[in-house]
Amino acid sequence: MNSKYWNEEIETMPRKKLEQLQVERLKKTVEIAMGSKFYAPKFKELGITPESIKSVEDIKRFPFTTKNDLRATYPFGIKSVPLEKVVRLHSSSGTTGNPTVILHTQKDLDEWADAMARSMYCIGLRNTDIIQNTSGYGMFTGGLGIQYAAERLGALTVPAGAGNSKRHVKFITDFGTTALHCIPSYATRLAAAFQEEGIDPSKTTVHTLIIGAEPHSEAQRKRIEEIWGAKAYNNFGMSEMCGPGVAIECQEQNGMHIWEDNYIVEILDPETLEPVPEGELGELVLTTLNREAMPLFRYRTRDLTRILPGECPCGRTHVRLARFQGRSDDMLIVKGVNLYPIQIEKILMQFPELASDYLITIETIGDNDEMTIEAELAQATDDFGMLQNLTKEITRRLKDELLFTPKVKLVGKGVIPQSDGKAKRVNDLRNNH
Amino acid sequence: MKTIKQISIFLENQRGKLSDIFTALKNQNIEIQAASVADTTEYGILRLITSDQKKAAQLLTANGHLVNLNEVLAIQVEPDTAAFADAIDALTSGGCSINYLYTFHKDSKLVLIIRPANLEIAERVATEKGLTLIQGWE
Repeated sequence: MNSKYWNEEIETMPRKKLEQLQVERLKKTVEIAMGSKFYAPKFKELGITPESIKSVEDIKRFPFTTKNDLRATYPFGIKSVPLEKVVRLHSSSGTTGNPTVILHTQKDLDEWADAMARSMYCIGLRNTDIIQNTSGYGMFTGGLGIQYAAERLGALTVPAGAGNSKRHVKFITDFGTTALHCIPSYATRLAAAFQEEGIDPSKTTVHTLIIGAEPHSEAQRKRIEEIWGAKAYNNFGMSEMCGPGVAIECQEQNGMHIWEDNYIVEILDPETLEPVPEGELGELVLTTLNREAMPLFRYRTRDLTRILPGECPCGRTHVRLARFQGRSDDMLIVKGVNLYPIQIEKILMQFPELASDYLITIETIGDNDEMTIEAELAQATDDFGMLQNLTKEITRRLKDELLFTPKVKLVGKGVIPQSDGKAKRVNDLRNNH
Repeated sequence: MKTIKQISIFLENQRGKLSDIFTALKNQNIEIQAASVADTTEYGILRLITSDQKKAAQLLTANGHLVNLNEVLAIQVEPDTAAFADAIDALTSGGCSINYLYTFHKDSKLVLIIRPANLEIAERVATEKGLTLIQGWE
C-alpha cells in the first residue's frame, strides 16, 4: 500500500472515461429503480428507460427527489429491491419530527465502506493508523459508517462513540490513537478535556482529524489544527447518499473531491432549478450511481456550494466542492444536530403559557455553538416559581427534541423584533462559512 | 373573600420599561399606593397596588405590557414594629406560609400586602386571629 491512491484507476480517471462510467452506472441504477413503487411510475411517465440514457446530460430528464418525498414514503416507500435483500437501515437524527429512513443492501454497505476508506486513504491514513471514532453508534451514519470504513482500510478502529471526553482522553493516551473522527466543535471540546488533565493535545499521538457534519470556517479549521498539532480534513456525507464518504478534502486542503463514480453532481439555482454558470454558487443536487436498496435521483441536498474550477494538483479528476455556504432551506446545524425552526416552534406551541412569538439565536461562545430561545409569555404572573418551572419544562422538552440543551429565556410582549410584519425566527450570529 | 387585587407586570430587564409604566399611570392620574420590584438575572416582576386596579390594568395592557391581576391579602395594622410582628406571627403560628410581602402606609396605618401559599387558609386564620382585612379598595 505505497500508492498515493486507494483506487488509482477510479480516482485519476480521465473525465471522459469517468463520464462514460457514470452513464453506465446511471443506466444500471435506472434498471434497479424500476423496482421502486416511487420511481417506476415517474419513469414511465417521463419515458425514462435504461436504453434511453445516452449521456450524463440525460440527468436533466429525471424528476427531483426531496426530503419531503422521503418523509411521505416513510419508511420503505422508495425501496427498489425486495426487503429480503435489505440488510440495514439508518435514520435521520433521532428527533421526534418525521424521520427519514435510508435502506442498504450488503453491496450498498460494502460500497459505502469502500468509498469512506478511499476518503481516509486520500488524507493519508493507512492500515498502520489507530482511528478513534467519537460519533454516536446507532441510527446516525457517523458511527457505523466510519467504523466499517476504517476496518476496510485495515486500521485499528476504536469505536469509542459519542460523549465522555475523559474516556476519549484515556483511550487516545493508552492506545496511541493517531486519527480522530469528530464534529469540529467536539475537536475543540476534547482538546479542552486534555488541557484539564494537564496534557497538551498537540503532544499526543493524534496526527489527523476527520471533521464534518457541522459547518465550520477555514479559521476554525486552522485553530483545530493548531491546538492538536495535527491536520484536519473536511469530510462530507449525508445519510441519504449513504453517510460519510461522499466527498473529502485531499491533502491540498482546497475543496472536497466528491466521488463522481458514485454520484452525478449538479449545482442548480434553487429557485429555477436550472444549472448555475460554471463555478458559481448553487444548490448541490446528487444522484446515486452505486446504490441498490434505495437509489435516489436528483436529490436536493439544500446545501449551497460551488464547484472549484481547474485541476487539483493531487491528480484526482473528481470535481472539488467549495466549503458549504449555507442552505437553500431553513435547516440549521447546531452542535452537529440537523434541525429546523419548526421543530422548536412545535414544542413551544404546546405551552399555553406562551404566546406565538419566539426567536432562536445561535452564536459562537468560546469554541461552541450556543442556542438561546426567547419565548414570548402570553400572560404575566405574580409567581416567580411558575416562571422558573415553566423555563425548566420548556428546556427539558426542547432537549428531548434537539438532543442538546438550549438556553430558554422568557420575554414580554413586543421584545421579539419584527420585520415587515413578519417575526424573525432565527438569528444566526455564527461566522462559520 | 376579603382580599384585594394586585397587578403583576412581567419585566424583561429592558431600559425604560419601569419609566413607561409609571409615566402612563401618572398621565391618567392613577394613584400608586404601593410598588414592589422583584428580580432575577433574567427578568423581574413588578407588583402594584393603585387607586384603580381595573383601570390601571387596562391601561398597561393597552400599552403593550404583560399584566396579571390576582388576589392578595391586605392587612391593616398600627404603624409600628410590634403590630407588624404580631400580625405575621398570628399568620405563621396559624399555619400559613408567606410567599412574599410588602408594605405601605395609608391613612396613618400600615398596610401589609401578603401573598400566602394558600389564600383561603390565610384569610380564615387572619379572621380568626382578629386581624383587620381590607376588602376591595374602591
